This record gives sequence, C-alpha cells and structure tokens, in this order.
Amino acid sequence: MITVRIPTPLRPMTGGKGEVEATGGSVLELIDHLNGAHPGLKDRICDEQGEVRRFINIYVNEEDIRFLTGKETPLKDGDEVSIVPAIAGGSHG
Amino acid sequence: MISIPATIWDDMIAHARELDPHECCGVLAGKDGVISAQYRITNILASMTEDELTTFFEKGKLSDLKNLSPDERADIAFIMDTMEFSSAVKDIRQKELTLPIFYHSHTSSPARPSETDIKKAMDFETMREKLNFPEPRHLIISLEEKSHPVIRAYHIQNSLSTEVPVQRQ
Repeated sequence: MITVRIPTPLRPMTGGKGEVEATGGSVLELIDHLNGAHPGLKDRICDEQGEVRRFINIYVNEEDIRFLTGKETPLKDGDEVSIVPAIAGGSHG
Repeated sequence: MISIPATIWDDMIAHARELDPHECCGVLAGKDGVISAQYRITNILASMTEDELTTFFEKGKLSDLKNLSPDERADIAFIMDTMEFSSAVKDIRQKELTLPIFYHSHTSSPARPSETDIKKAMDFETMREKLNFPEPRHLIISLEEKSHPVIRAYHIQNSLSTEVPVQRQ
C-alpha cells in the first residue's frame, strides 16, 4: 500500500482524513484509484487534460514528481505520496 | 535575530516595488541565523482561470476574489509558482541550508500576517515535517508607505504569529 497525505483544503473529500492508503503502479494510477474512493478528488489535483494542476506539488517521498517522471513516476509498496498546494497568502482577509 | 545581507534585503524591496500594486513573493534561505540565498518566485494568481481559483480557494475567499479582475486579485494575494518553488527547495537542500523564509509583499497594508497568511502557513505546516523540510519563517515587505518600506518577519505556530527580529547587514 501507498500512504497518501491529503492537504487541509482537500480533506472534506476524504472524510476529514489527512492520510489515506491507496494502490497504484504510478502517480497517475494512484490518483485514479483515489478518485474511485473519493470521487471528485482527481478534478482538484489534475486539470481537464489530466495534467497535475500548476498550483499543486506532488512529492513521492521527499522528491517533487516534476524532477522525476511526472505523473508517470513509478510507485512501489511503502512509498509516501504528499499532495501539497502552492505556498500562498496575501494581505486580504 | 536573523541577519539578511543588504543586497538581498534591497532586492526584496526592489522586487516588491517592481510588482506593485501586485504582491511579490519569494524564498530566502540560510543557516545559523544568516541568510545567504534568495529566490524570486512568480506570483501566478493573476494568470489563474476561474476554474483554477475554484479548485484552490475555499468558498468565502473565492467569492471575494471572483468579484475582482485577475489583475486586482494579485494586488491582495499571492500563489507561488510550484515549479520555481520546487527548484528553490532543491537548491536549498543541495546547499544544506536549514533556515528557509517565505516572503511576500503587502502593497497597501502593514507588515503583519493576515488571517489568510496564518491559515496558509498552518496548512503547509501539516505537510512540512513529512517532507523533511525545515520550519520556515514568514517575512512581509509592506509598501503601505511607499517611500518607507517596512520589513518584518514572523514565526507562525499553532495559528499564532510571533515577530522574529530581522536586520539588514
């Protein structure tokens, strides 16, 4: 199994859980499996073309998949995947 | 006390002024209380589509932003380009720097964290340790008084911000 860390803004879609378990041979497969268990999650992570949204970082263990092989990055049992929204903030609110 | 070299300090102010009225953002890094690296990061907010905004922001914040033009949105908030951010993180790791600072500007308000700043900092905090990323400080450049920029830094923990002294050196 692969442990997936869910960021606070997406936790309403995982029943409030910050970590879920999933399977998948690649990041893309993992996202598809996650979407099966938590419908709508993929839309929050990927755009209409299926690419990871530009304000989402996905890390496999400690490495950004953009420095690996993107959404095709292979996964193995015991890997930890973190979905991390871009650093944000600002003067408003 | 965190020391920031004059070249980096001045470049942060220049960065804020170049983008004014948009907010600028970036990352600094160093170790042992001394900053040695700066990474300007693109604020991608003005180029985000309505669909992208909808997937990033919670409802309350979203309705405020949707009432504004894309340009106006970047006047009151920032989102760091993720590729540039990850490249900075990679460099910070390679240089074995342990003191990261996330910086951004407030173009018409004081140099203190907004509710959004604190909330987003706490969101990152829930993921940070697992990524083995050192705990960041947060620095704000205020251009409220255009001729007198103010720089202050904060440690944000448990949804509370505590000022951390910084000096230009």
